[in-house]
Amino acid sequence: MSTFESDVCIVGGGISAAMLALKLTELRPGISVTVIEAGRKLFDIENRMEYRRRSIEYAENPWPGDFIEDQSAKGVISRTMAVGGSALHWGGTCNRFSEEDVRLKSMFGLYTDWPIEWAELEKFYCEAERRLGVSGEPSPHPEDERSQPYPMPAMAMTHNLIELKRWAEKTGIPFQTTPQAKNTQPYDGRAQCIRCNTCSVCPTGARYSPDFTFKRLLERNGFALHDRTLVRKLVLDEQKATIRTAQAVHRDRPDEPLEYRAPVFVLASGYCWSPHLLLGSACSRFPNGLANSSGLVGRYMCGHAFLSAFIEIDAKIYPGMNEQHGLISRQFFRVPTGQPFLRHDLRVWESASGHEPRLRGANGRVLLGDALLADWRERARRGTARIRGYYDVHPDRESSLTLDMSSKNRWGDPMPVIQHKPDAASLAREGAVGEHFHALFERLAKNDNGKVLSTAAGNYWDHPAGGCQMGTDPAASVTDSFGQTHDHENLFVVGSPTLPNAGCTNGTLTFTALTLRSAERIAERFRRTA
Amino acid sequence: MRRRTLLGWLAALGAGRSQAAFPGEQAEHLRALARVVLPSEVDAAAAAAKFVEWVRGYRAGAEMEHGYGFTRLRTKLALPVANYARQLAALGTRPSPDAVSAALEEAKVTDLPRTPDGRHVASDLMAFYFRSSDANDLCYRTAIGRDLCRGLAGSENPPKELRR
Repeated sequence: MSTFESDVCIVGGGISAAMLALKLTELRPGISVTVIEAGRKLFDIENRMEYRRRSIEYAENPWPGDFIEDQSAKGVISRTMAVGGSALHWGGTCNRFSEEDVRLKSMFGLYTDWPIEWAELEKFYCEAERRLGVSGEPSPHPEDERSQPYPMPAMAMTHNLIELKRWAEKTGIPFQTTPQAKNTQPYDGRAQCIRCNTCSVCPTGARYSPDFTFKRLLERNGFALHDRTLVRKLVLDEQKATIRTAQAVHRDRPDEPLEYRAPVFVLASGYCWSPHLLLGSACSRFPNGLANSSGLVGRYMCGHAFLSAFIEIDAKIYPGMNEQHGLISRQFFRVPTGQPFLRHDLRVWESASGHEPRLRGANGRVLLGDALLADWRERARRGTARIRGYYDVHPDRESSLTLDMSSKNRWGDPMPVIQHKPDAASLAREGAVGEHFHALFERLAKNDNGKVLSTAAGNYWDHPAGGCQMGTDPAASVTDSFGQTHDHENLFVVGSPTLPNAGCTNGTLTFTALTLRSAERIAERFRRTA
Repeated sequence: MRRRTLLGWLAALGAGRSQAAFPGEQAEHLRALARVVLPSEVDAAAAAAKFVEWVRGYRAGAEMEHGYGFTRLRTKLALPVANYARQLAALGTRPSPDAVSAALEEAKVTDLPRTPDGRHVASDLMAFYFRSSDANDLCYRTAIGRDLCRGLAGSENPPKELRR
């Protein structure tokens, strides 16, 4: 058996681990930090232009090898397991939540409050934006007041977005460009965006990706990154309720068990694998899994539901100018006094939907050559807007991640299964939500001779989170607001699992902000003991 | 080595050989087909040559996109290049639009594939071209350059008209 020792052992190598490790090594340059990631390193930015080309031309995976074949979960929405995690191929959207998200109970009598003040979270939003390199413009709503400006000016609106903003704002609803972790000017050693239209594989590094942070960390003394290493179990100290070791296996040397020792362990493996590891580390003293005296590990799995529409309008839209950049309205983050609870964001993008080339004309006959082009040109006279709203659904306790004994990896570890379930109040709102959105789509379509081409409801919860909910009451939560587990004083959980609810917009910036806050608490331990 | 990996390699090896030989003696057949299925504004011979390059660069067994929202791991199937050869031979060097339409009907091609899918060489050639950034530009008669890296400057303006 090989044993590795460090001051802080971080399990999982995604965006939360990158931010945590970076800040810890800044706050306490003398400490040693080890990050263990089951997937492999994909640090070949020099190949990304070619990966992008093959993705466009052949629909190949632009992140080759970013998965582990026998390490899959039912109910996840991304199979990516690699150094950088899902943020390797994220779109870079960096919306903030709003105070309503953290005060659901006290403001609306719904679900729960977060154990953190909004002003405190806002401070760390600013830091997260600075570290990720977010470009954006201020919200027109006074409730979205910021204590610091965005680090970079907003991405320029393309001609298409200018047209769509003009159209959408005829409803009286204000829109702004979506803040994104994309460089509108050279920033943090990375290049300015050159509008490649493929942000899920940014070939230049203009869109933030955790691999850049890990590469920087690897130049520092005391930092180690062990990739292709799967942590299978956390083991308790024989006398105390603290974590003594993480037992792991290297995927290329499966017969050599590995052991990691540290005074502090941090789970940063995301909403799926963090609760999975806690449940899989059950022992005689904690038969329901570690950190689980509340019984809430793998419970309150959250996310947000969504409805979308394509609306055709009289506008000259040129599909492909920058499909990755869009508009957002935060108007519906607020619930007007006296109105039933209903919260959502509202997004607008350019689209080619309804105006794509087709093989058969309206009469069903095959179109070839000039006839196909003429049909396409005729239909492309009008433009299309893609609309989507993420709306609040709050999880039931039974919205769960459990171990699936019928599905095991090569080492015989049961794989997780996630089943989302809304709470009773969210379920009761569903009809009203649908009516509201369809009225909203029609309201948008009233302008510029609009026509709703199609509407659709999402069949999964996007931006999933939860499973290790934070709270003040150890009987009703897994961690405190810093991610420190109530049951094990040297075990933290950071990132999306600690979110009680997933708000009504993308969550990456929020859990990154919370992780940066956790870093300060973890660093304090070393000031006291060093 | 996993059986699945070995089979994938063997399939890729066999497919690679036939792809490299494409279109063999049927280069003129392919150019003739391009003249029928692509717009007259397009240089059909050049478009056919690009399609040949695409076929030769295709990698059977390559991982497919499984990113956000697509959790199933899939690999690219082998391109049925032998079918392409048979289909080109059947259409001959002077295919009529009716013959191409009939061939597509027979192959049960109902819409333009998102990417070439091997059902018929005619629909694959059409998908290859009409789904491209160049075709998008041609449709709008402007230099949108959807698949290019174009910089941010000037993007607030409509794209420039195509220079022909």
